[in-house]
Amino acid sequence: MSDNILAAGAGPEAAAGAQPPADLVRTEDVVKVYQAKGHLPVTALSGVSFGMASGEFTAVAGPSGSGKTTLLNLVGGLDQPTSGSVRVADQDLSELSRNALAEFRLHNLGFIFQAYNLIPVLSAEENAEFTLLLQGVSARERHARIVREFEDLGIEKELIRRRPNELSGGQQQRVAIARALVSRPKLILADEPTANLDSKTGARLLDKMRDLNERTGTTFLFSTHDPMVIERARRLVTLRDGQITADEVFS
Amino acid sequence: MLAKIAWRNIWRNPRRSWVLISALAVGVFCFVGGLAYVDGFFQQMIRGAIQLQGGHIQIAQSGYSENPTIQSFIADAGPVHASLESVDGIRRSASVRTAGMINSADQASGVMIVGVEPEAEMRLSPIPEAVVDGAYLPAAGEENLVLVGEALAQRLNVLTGERIVLMANDVDNEISAGAYRVAGLYRTSSRDFDRTHVYLHANQARMLLGYAAEAVSTVSLVLPSGTDLATVTQPLKQQLEPLGMEVMTWQDRMPVLVLMSEMTGMANVILVIILFTAVAFTLVNSFIMVIFERIREIGIMAAGGVRPRQIRTMLFLEALFVVLIGTLVGSAVALGLIAWWSHAGLDLGRFSEGLSAFGAASVIYPYVDWGHILRGFAMIFLIVLLAVLYPAIKASRFKIVDAMTHV
Repeated sequence: MSDNILAAGAGPEAAAGAQPPADLVRTEDVVKVYQAKGHLPVTALSGVSFGMASGEFTAVAGPSGSGKTTLLNLVGGLDQPTSGSVRVADQDLSELSRNALAEFRLHNLGFIFQAYNLIPVLSAEENAEFTLLLQGVSARERHARIVREFEDLGIEKELIRRRPNELSGGQQQRVAIARALVSRPKLILADEPTANLDSKTGARLLDKMRDLNERTGTTFLFSTHDPMVIERARRLVTLRDGQITADEVFS
Repeated sequence: MLAKIAWRNIWRNPRRSWVLISALAVGVFCFVGGLAYVDGFFQQMIRGAIQLQGGHIQIAQSGYSENPTIQSFIADAGPVHASLESVDGIRRSASVRTAGMINSADQASGVMIVGVEPEAEMRLSPIPEAVVDGAYLPAAGEENLVLVGEALAQRLNVLTGERIVLMANDVDNEISAGAYRVAGLYRTSSRDFDRTHVYLHANQARMLLGYAAEAVSTVSLVLPSGTDLATVTQPLKQQLEPLGMEVMTWQDRMPVLVLMSEMTGMANVILVIILFTAVAFTLVNSFIMVIFERIREIGIMAAGGVRPRQIRTMLFLEALFVVLIGTLVGSAVALGLIAWWSHAGLDLGRFSEGLSAFGAASVIYPYVDWGHILRGFAMIFLIVLLAVLYPAIKASRFKIVDAMTHV
């Protein structure tokens, strides 16, 4: 069912094959070394070159410490590579200032985290609205988008005024997904989105995301070692010890 | 939305917020209450000095304020009165003044002999109301009557109805003396003033000094409340200075009072800085705790596209809300107390001797000078915002990845 392929510049063990045009994300020979004070340097990524096209539903998998989250952080502009370059939507992220990066993330990227990370003092609706306010979207448009995404994700009306601590984990993650989607990002980065959910809730949410990807062409990049995510991904990039060891596209 | 988040963040830990608000409220209470007390004290002192010593504006012959000799007088006060016709609500009183001696059977003392127009004084001076024994001077100036301060009467050992002798140089530099009966005794807030000022009818003073019927030493003006001193003074100067007269404001005549008032202003600034620097350190400490508690949340917000400036704004808004509540609570309590004080007065009777030396009454009525208070509030807000600057900058410079993984 899968075609093993070698993504542009992927690790030597990956097989050659067809690859969609990598126009949305492009990392070139990315190295990331963490150097904490008083500790030995740790290499999280060593020479990763990776491309991703719009509309993909891709998972980066690998054991703990393989560099999955580091790769997502670099693609999301949350961290800077030690060397190499990261381009997203034709923009070299290393060229952007702190403010410009914030602006770039605001308009181009959506994040879904393992721990949901909703703002605790805002209701479900306000959490989703916050990014839209920062983007300067009009009140009418904000309302329309929130209603649509909440309906799509099955967030019941009685939940919209509740704060995160009044929602279950699954409900919080649905709100977090809605928050990521309402701003219409080019790319959604999801770091272990199902890790804190029971398998039934996780599967349902993954199906929603896959459905959104198919209907709207929204691009998803997951970091995971959850088999449910891997099963649903249309492309699987495997990392080990900071290097891509396999890059497979599933039909 | 940042304001909404900031407001709700305050109430995430209500106990800590209320401790902060209480610290601010106590500081604001001390500041507003203290300021109203000091302003009331100075206002009473300045008002008393103005009323007792020549009004808001004093007109005299040029050079009188430098060297108030017996020869320095306005021969005809007609042009002065004419120039005042256009000023609404002004109260005026002409007086004849000279330094002299007062003698009783037992004692003698150097005094300022002040000849006044009793009817005009009734509308302008606090002395008629300060009579504590006997009566004020009659409107007609035929009788040889004087009004002396209670403190002076005690020193001279004279009572109401008894006789004294006034001596002074007359306009020809000859010794002139007259016997007078004490019509009454007065008591102001300043014992020094009471010991050194003797009042008699202007006509009696003219006779003592050999002045003509229209001659006066000074014309004192009291302006209606809220009148801008400069707008009255400037036209008077333009009209009267060419006629050989001087127009002096109370600030010109009593620079020590002005200096004291300015020094009090500086003392208020220092009070605010001391009070709120202490509060500011509490605030810095709390905000550093707040930021480390919310470091992960701040990281998530930054990841979602919130700019560093917006994170700083959010924290500034939190501080601003805390200060606003503290200021409101502290001001409300202080203003409530001031409202009560304004009626009852703060009786400092046990310090009356010391207060009297400053010319202040023993009962102080606080006065709210909104200009002073608002300037103080502006300083408080500035100090607090400066205090939050460090935590806010720190929060906006967190490395996002580190912040998001902070446990």
